[in-house]
Amino acid sequence: MQHVANVTGTRTDARAAVEVRGLSHVYAGRDGAVPALEAIDMKVPAGRFVVIVGPSGCGKTSLLMMLAGLRAQSSGAILVDGRPIDRPDPSRVGVVFQEASLYPWLTAVENVEFPLVLKHAPRAERRARAEAMLKLVGLDGFGARHPHELSGGMKQRVSIARGLVQDPPVLLMDEPFAALDEQTRMTMGHELLRIWEQTSKTVVFITHSLTEAVYLADEVLVMSARPGRILDRITVDLPRPRTYQMMATEEFGALRERIWQQIRTAP
Amino acid sequence: MRGASLIIVRLGLLAAVLLLWEALPRLGLVNAMLLPPLSDVLAALVHILGRGDVHASLGVTAAEVVVAFVIAVPLGAALGILAAENAYFGDIFKPMLFYVFSVPKSIFLSMFILAFGIGFPQKVAYAAFSTIFIVIMSASAAVESVKAEHLLVARSYGATQAQILRRVYIPSMLPILLEALRISMIFNFTGVMIAEMYASRVGIGRLIADWGENFEMAKLLAGVILLAAAAMAFNEAVRSLEARCSTWRT
Amino acid sequence: MNWPTPRTVRRLIGVMILVLWEAIPRLGILPELFIPPLTKTLHVLWLDRAIYAAALFVTVYEVAVAMLIACGAGILIGSVVGGVAGIRRLMLPVFSSLYAVPIVILYPVFTAWFGIGSESKIVFAGVYGFFPVMLSTAAGIRTIDEQYLLAARSMGASLPQLIVRVIIPASIPTVLAGLRLGGALTIIGVVVSEMLTSANGIGYLVTKNRTTLDSPRVFAAIIVILTLSVVYDIAVRFIERRTLVWQTAGRRAGGPETARVALPAQAAA
Repeated sequence: MQHVANVTGTRTDARAAVEVRGLSHVYAGRDGAVPALEAIDMKVPAGRFVVIVGPSGCGKTSLLMMLAGLRAQSSGAILVDGRPIDRPDPSRVGVVFQEASLYPWLTAVENVEFPLVLKHAPRAERRARAEAMLKLVGLDGFGARHPHELSGGMKQRVSIARGLVQDPPVLLMDEPFAALDEQTRMTMGHELLRIWEQTSKTVVFITHSLTEAVYLADEVLVMSARPGRILDRITVDLPRPRTYQMMATEEFGALRERIWQQIRTAP
Repeated sequence: MRGASLIIVRLGLLAAVLLLWEALPRLGLVNAMLLPPLSDVLAALVHILGRGDVHASLGVTAAEVVVAFVIAVPLGAALGILAAENAYFGDIFKPMLFYVFSVPKSIFLSMFILAFGIGFPQKVAYAAFSTIFIVIMSASAAVESVKAEHLLVARSYGATQAQILRRVYIPSMLPILLEALRISMIFNFTGVMIAEMYASRVGIGRLIADWGENFEMAKLLAGVILLAAAAMAFNEAVRSLEARCSTWRT
Repeated sequence: MNWPTPRTVRRLIGVMILVLWEAIPRLGILPELFIPPLTKTLHVLWLDRAIYAAALFVTVYEVAVAMLIACGAGILIGSVVGGVAGIRRLMLPVFSSLYAVPIVILYPVFTAWFGIGSESKIVFAGVYGFFPVMLSTAAGIRTIDEQYLLAARSMGASLPQLIVRVIIPASIPTVLAGLRLGGALTIIGVVVSEMLTSANGIGYLVTKNRTTLDSPRVFAAIIVILTLSVVYDIAVRFIERRTLVWQTAGRRAGGPETARVALPAQAAA
C-alpha cells in the first residue's frame, strides 16, 4: 500500500536536481553528542515540488540549512544540480525563510535586487530583473514600498521574488507561510503553485501543516522526531492544477490521515 | 569559554593592569608624580584607613547618603506610583521627566548653596533632588510592569485590594524595585560626591578634592579606589539579591 | 467636566513657572539672593552677553571634542564588545560593575594630570559619556535580527558585504541612540567639571558668580546651560524624526524593555 517511491525510477532521463546521500548530523550538546539527523536519503528530480513534513524539532530546518549550504553536515553528501554544495550558492539555490527577513531600510524592489547587488551586477540589468520578479509574484507596481508598508503575505511574496531573482534551478522554502493567518496561507499556497508552474523550478518546501503538504506537493517526505529520519515517502497523485475543492475529497483526507498516522506512531 | 575560564581570564587581565600600574611609574615610563606606583597607592590606602579624620569624613558622607536616600525614595516612590496609577497625572509629567535627565542637574547646586549655604542640609537636599527623578521613573515603571492580565485574573477570583497588593503587585514588582533601589543609590552617591567636591568643608569628596589640589596623588588614588570599591560592593550586593528574587523572570 | 489635555497643562505649568520666577522675588516671598527675578536675570545676561558668549564658545568646543571621543570610542568599542560573543561574555559583566562607580571622583585625578584647562574637561566628559554609550551600543548590537545575516549569507554575501550592507544599516538606530545619549552626557560632564575646577566656560561662570553672591549672573549662566541642553535635545529629535525608516531597522520586537534599559547613572549629575 505504501509508495516507498524511489521517484527517480519513474523517469528515465531526469538527473536529480537535489540529491542527498546518507546524510547524518550530530551536534555537540551540553551533555555530549546529540544526533539530529540520521541516514537521510533523498532524490528530487528536476521540476518536482517536494514537501517535508515533521514534528517540531525533528531537524527539518537544519536539513534545509544544509541543502542551502548554510550549515555543514557531519557526514553524507548533498548534491545540487549534480555538484556538491558546501557553501551558499544563490545561482543554484534560492532560499525563502519563515520570517521574510526583508531589510526594512530598502524598498521592495531594492530588497529583490539585493542578491544581484552582492554580485555587482550592473544597475539597469538588476533593476529590470527585480521588477520582472515582482511582476511574477503579483506585486507589479509595489516596488517603491518599504516593508513596513506591506502586509505579511506581500512581504513573503517579495521574499520569494528575491529567492528567484538569480533564476536558480532549486528553491528551498522553510515554512514560509507559518507566520500568516490561515486565509492568507491558502491564498499564498495557491499563488506559489502558479509561480512554480510558470517557472518550472524544483521546490523543497518545509511545513508543519498536513493540509498544506498534501495541497502543494508532488511528493511528501515524512520525517520523524529527533533524530530525524525519513519515515515515509508519499506520492500525491492529485491532478494539477490543484484546486481548493480538492481539499474536500476523500483522497485528500486519506493522504492527510496517512501522514498523520506516520508521525503519530513513529517510534 | 566556560565559566571558570572566564574568571581566570578576567583575573589575568586584572593582574596585567596592576602589574603595569606598578611597573610603568617605577621604570620612569610614566611620571611617578602623576601616577604613583601601585604599591605606594596601596600603602596610602592603608594609611588613610587608619586616620581619624578620614573616618570622620567617611561618616559625614555616609550620613548624607543615607539621609538623602531616605528622603528621596519614599517621596519619589509615592510620586511614581501616582504617575502610574493616575493616567492623567502621568501623561502630564512623564514627558517632562525624560527631559529632566538630559539636563545637568549640577547647575542647580549653586541654587541650593545660595538657599541653604554650605553644610549638611544643602548637600542632602541636592542629593535628594538628584535622586528623586530616577526613583519616580522607576517606581512608575515598576507599577506599570505588573501585567494587566494578572490583575484581571486576581479580580475575577474576587481578590480584595489588599490581597491584590500583597499577592500580585509586590511579588511582581520586587525585582524591579530592587533594581530601582540599586540605580537610585548610584545617582544618590554621585549627587553627594558632586556636592562635597564642589562646596563643602567636610566629607570624603572634599578630602579627595583637596588631595588632588595638593598633588597628593597616592592618597587621592587611594581614596578613589576606596570609594569605587564601596560603590561596587553595594551594587553587587543588591544585584545578587535581585537575582534571587528574579528567578521567575524571563 | 472637561480636563485640559496634558500638553496644555504642561504649557500652563511652564508659563506658571515663568510667572512665579518673576513674582516671588519681587513680592519678597523669597529673598532675591536665592532667586532673582526673571527679568533681572535676563537683563544681566544681555548686559554681559559678550562674556557669556565667549564662555559658551569654550563650553561648546569642549562638548564637541568630548562627544567625538565618547561617541566615537563608545560606538566602536560597544559594537565589538556586543558583537563578538567571546569578548562580550568576558568584558560586559566587568563594565556593568564598573558603571556603579560615580565617575566624578576621577575628576581631581584628571585635573592633576591635565591641568584646569579644557583638556581635563574634555578627557573627563569623554570618559563620562563613554561607558553608557558603549554599554548601550553593545546592547543594541545584539538586537539586530540574526535572520538578516542568515538571509544575506544565503544570498552568498561575503564578510565585507555582510558588514557594509547588513550590519551597518541595521545598526543605525542603535548608533543614533548612542549619539543622543552621548551628547546629553558629555554636556553634563563638561558642565560639572567646569563648575568644579576651571578657569573658563559657562560652568566656571556659575561658580565664580556664586562665590561673589551675584545671583542674577548665576541664574543667567544656568539659563544658558538649559538652553544648550534644550537645543541639543531638539536637534537630536529632529534627526530622529528624519530617520524614521531606519528606526525600525534591524530590530526584533523590542518594546518597553528596551526603553527602560537606557538610563545611565551618569545622568545623575
